[in-house]
Amino acid sequence: MNQVEIQIGKYKQMVPIPYNPMLWFLAGLAFVAALGVILYRKPVHACLSFLLTLLSLAGIYLQLSAEFIAIMQVLVYAGAILVIFMFVIILFQDAHEQLRLFKAQSTSRLLYAAGAVLVLTILSFAGQIKSFSGEPASLPPDFGAVEPIGKALYVDFFFPFEAVILLFLVAIIGALYMGKKEKI
Amino acid sequence: MDLFVMIVTSFLMFAVGLIGVLAKRNTIILFLCVELMLNSANLLFVTFAWQWGNQIGLLWVFFVLIVAAAEAAVGLAIIINLFRARQVVDVDQFNLLRG
Repeated sequence: MNQVEIQIGKYKQMVPIPYNPMLWFLAGLAFVAALGVILYRKPVHACLSFLLTLLSLAGIYLQLSAEFIAIMQVLVYAGAILVIFMFVIILFQDAHEQLRLFKAQSTSRLLYAAGAVLVLTILSFAGQIKSFSGEPASLPPDFGAVEPIGKALYVDFFFPFEAVILLFLVAIIGALYMGKKEKI
Repeated sequence: MDLFVMIVTSFLMFAVGLIGVLAKRNTIILFLCVELMLNSANLLFVTFAWQWGNQIGLLWVFFVLIVAAAEAAVGLAIIINLFRARQVVDVDQFNLLRG
């Protein structure tokens, strides 16, 4: 729990505050950067905005004491996935300009649909809002460290882990096959 | 309070991703919005793992990360093939399967 120093007269006292302001700031940053992904016109700017979302999410994970996941987030998402996105954006550099040549077929209708989905979700969400309060449980001392996660991954979750590895292998082979010019 | 803010953030990020997938026309931005939705689910996993002091939630985040990486590799390969076939990135122009 965070503490803040309060001075009344000549008495100073450390008072616990029931929330983490850093977490709120990072959450707002993540949301604003997520808005940037859909509001920027140029794909490179959208991609950089997505990078900001990922980094603020990694900060949130650090604040929630999930260090291993934060590092994985930066390495895998910001380091690997986003680089592939950047490569593809560079590859299509001229084609992005052509988007203005064609008139959108159904964008306004889809926006209405998205707005309807949003309102429905907010309505169903608002009914549940009271059950979302409550203090966090006391965390185990090694929460979010590499060791307990690795132990759970290789002992309790061995089969899902192997299945995911197989999925990844198939994905790599499929991507290579689709990237070839002449098909076998 | 922190829990509530995290849930609302995750929900808003998912909504932004959904609106992007439904309304944007650039294929790559569309794909970025899918990643955004995956990330909002990840945030919820970590938040509840922290709330209940349970490590298993972090494990699922790990799995989601791997699946997102696989999806990015295959999806971008598909996008490149579509681009080779049509020379555009506008999803409205991809009407090869139109009946």
